[in-house]
Amino acid sequence: MMVENVLLTGVGGQGIITASTILSQACRLAGWSVKKSEVHGMSQRGGSVDSHVRLSADEQIASPLIPEGGATVMLAFEPLEGLRQIRRTAPDATVLIEKRIIVPVTVNLPGFSYPENLFDRLTASGRNITLLAAAEKAIELGEPRAGNSVLLGALATQIDLPEQAWWDAMELVLKPHTLEINRRAFDAGYEMMA
Amino acid sequence: MTDTARDLSTVLLLSGNEAIARGAWEAGVHLGSGYPGTPSSEILPALKDLGDAYVEWSVNEKVALEVAAGASIAGARTLTTTKHVGLNVAADPLFTLSYTGVEGGMVIAVADDPSMHSSQNEQDSRNYARAAKVPMLQPADSQEARDMTMRAYEISERFDTPVLVGVVTRICHSDGIVEVAPREDVELRGDLEKQPEKFVMVPGHARKARVVMAERMKKLVAFAEETDLTREEMGGRSLGIIAGGTAYTYAREAFPEASFLKLGLVWPLPPERILAFAEKVDRLFVVEELDPFLTEQISALGVDVEEVDDRFRIGELLPGRVREMITGEAPPETDADADLPPRPPTLCAGCPHRSVFAALRKLKAYVTGDIGCYTLGTLPPLEALHTCLCMGGGVSEAHGIQKVRGHEAPVVAVIGDSTFTHTGVAGLINIAYNAGVSTIVIMDNRTTAMTGGQVHPGVGVTLSGMPGRELDFVKLAEAVGIEHVTVVDPYEVAETEQALREAMDTAEPSVVITRHPCILEVEERHPAPALEIDACIHCAQCIRIGCPALSNAAAEGDKPLPAIDTVLCTGCLMCAQVCPVDALQVPEDGEGDE
Repeated sequence: MMVENVLLTGVGGQGIITASTILSQACRLAGWSVKKSEVHGMSQRGGSVDSHVRLSADEQIASPLIPEGGATVMLAFEPLEGLRQIRRTAPDATVLIEKRIIVPVTVNLPGFSYPENLFDRLTASGRNITLLAAAEKAIELGEPRAGNSVLLGALATQIDLPEQAWWDAMELVLKPHTLEINRRAFDAGYEMMA
Repeated sequence: MTDTARDLSTVLLLSGNEAIARGAWEAGVHLGSGYPGTPSSEILPALKDLGDAYVEWSVNEKVALEVAAGASIAGARTLTTTKHVGLNVAADPLFTLSYTGVEGGMVIAVADDPSMHSSQNEQDSRNYARAAKVPMLQPADSQEARDMTMRAYEISERFDTPVLVGVVTRICHSDGIVEVAPREDVELRGDLEKQPEKFVMVPGHARKARVVMAERMKKLVAFAEETDLTREEMGGRSLGIIAGGTAYTYAREAFPEASFLKLGLVWPLPPERILAFAEKVDRLFVVEELDPFLTEQISALGVDVEEVDDRFRIGELLPGRVREMITGEAPPETDADADLPPRPPTLCAGCPHRSVFAALRKLKAYVTGDIGCYTLGTLPPLEALHTCLCMGGGVSEAHGIQKVRGHEAPVVAVIGDSTFTHTGVAGLINIAYNAGVSTIVIMDNRTTAMTGGQVHPGVGVTLSGMPGRELDFVKLAEAVGIEHVTVVDPYEVAETEQALREAMDTAEPSVVITRHPCILEVEERHPAPALEIDACIHCAQCIRIGCPALSNAAAEGDKPLPAIDTVLCTGCLMCAQVCPVDALQVPEDGEGDE
């Protein structure tokens, strides 16, 4: 196996760092190499957030950041953020994108609007794109905040980690009372990709 | 815990910050001190969670380092944490601590922020190692952050010097696999003997210490020549790279076949090893983030170092940037299309700072700002913060402006509660003392919000969770000589504006304390208002307060119309209060339903 470069992106507060922590812990529990990198501080507060997770079953990883244009998988928690990061992915990358839009405050300012042809532009990028209604699924499951676990379940179909590692990682990272619903959400996300 | 987890109990996933704390803890650290600052903020809380050591948030970095100095004199192993700009604040004790040396091992973890993800400048702390004549270790990942922090204590005690552990955002906030071990119990060294020649830096003592320091530096160079903290990794001979820290990881990624001299100790450098390495390779590059710190030193040895374009001295490196630096081959373009609306950080929905900025904008104030969440008040649509220099700087800037422009200049300084205790208080004393007239707003949200919600003296709770003496801002302002002091709740928009207006009109120095807890700390929720469309006069006053829960998405053509995101809305009702026609009201059935 080569190094898998997973780029998670979205809006501050969407649970991106929690999702990338679960992914990284799952790698550790499976005995893999992993490095995860993100920015705290000013970059949160509703701003764009991304997290780089680099993992490998058999290779050591040097850089904590994904080389430019080298993401092999991208998980976008919001479509605009997906488009913003699309050039950080490899031309043949697998790109999973949440459909639900979160409008940035800057569209209230002159000169900016949410791009209307956003999904066409994503398709035109030539990447292998799958749109997911994860937020909708989470609401259906009765916990709107579990959308990130639905997305993580979808991501799990792209990474060859043992199932047990995912479960154990979720148990390590999540609060006990949220575990059950997040596991159901994860399963639902996994099935979405079937 | 599950079986897989139990097998991995000594193999943890740790951020660089957690790994520094872990290394200090395993080395038997007795005392940790610091002031929060991205990206260093998580080190001390991690040390607190590990237990055993006394850990405190000090009021600023200078105080933190002095607390550590005292503990070191008393024989303790200490850890002080700071971001790069915090080391400027602590530079005064640092430079003389290099003269006194230590008793117990003294380690200072300093975190730089290349690319300024959350900082006002991009300084390279390696320069401090050279200027203060103290050694610096530079880990390249979490494992090295733990290992090198442990080694730093040995170096500190062996060579009688404080030791810097230099990290950057991509070490602090990157997680990696770390093998750990139990804590070593270390006794306090010595007996708190009085050693005035060592610890009283009067000129007579300092002149002797200065000579000792020069000898120490020679010994450290000899150590640098033999230590395994630095290693040669020979690959192909056509390209040799000297690098440390994150720069090493990017270069390794970009040139897996190259030969490396990987520096763990980046100050002082090992001249013999560098010369020997340079002999073995055809072309030699020095790869480093920010200043040409190593490059200048290595060139001065007479080594033929390949030239690097100055643009690689600005911002973070990446594997592709390192490749470009060396081969000229540009990495793929990764920037997004320019037409995409940016998503910068904003003041949160329900942030108590918002109404203060809305009022200051209305009052046409020239606002001298400071470091914290409230710096975001500079962004459109609020655009109500006009300077941001350094911690505490806005208070003194306001005074300076009014000393040359007079009281007529509508100047107001805004400063957060934590920043005020850090260094703002000195500026306030200065205003009172020098017959100033400025208005200082202490935006008291009961936390250090920007760095993740750390406690401070105004909160009356310490890092260890124990009650601490609560700093009373009103009494403090009165005690330094400010007579016009008011406290308002910024959720009361009209009152807040009135308090600010009165303070600005007063021809004497004034303090307005706008006090309401940070929305992230208390999760305060009230019913959201709803728009009565027929009443709306499309004036956009509500939209202009820049709340992320309130967009102009419902607008028809050029007629603004607010749309409320009821998930984001916390019901602070600032928008309702700025509405001139009361078109935003909480529905009857929503009242009392908090």
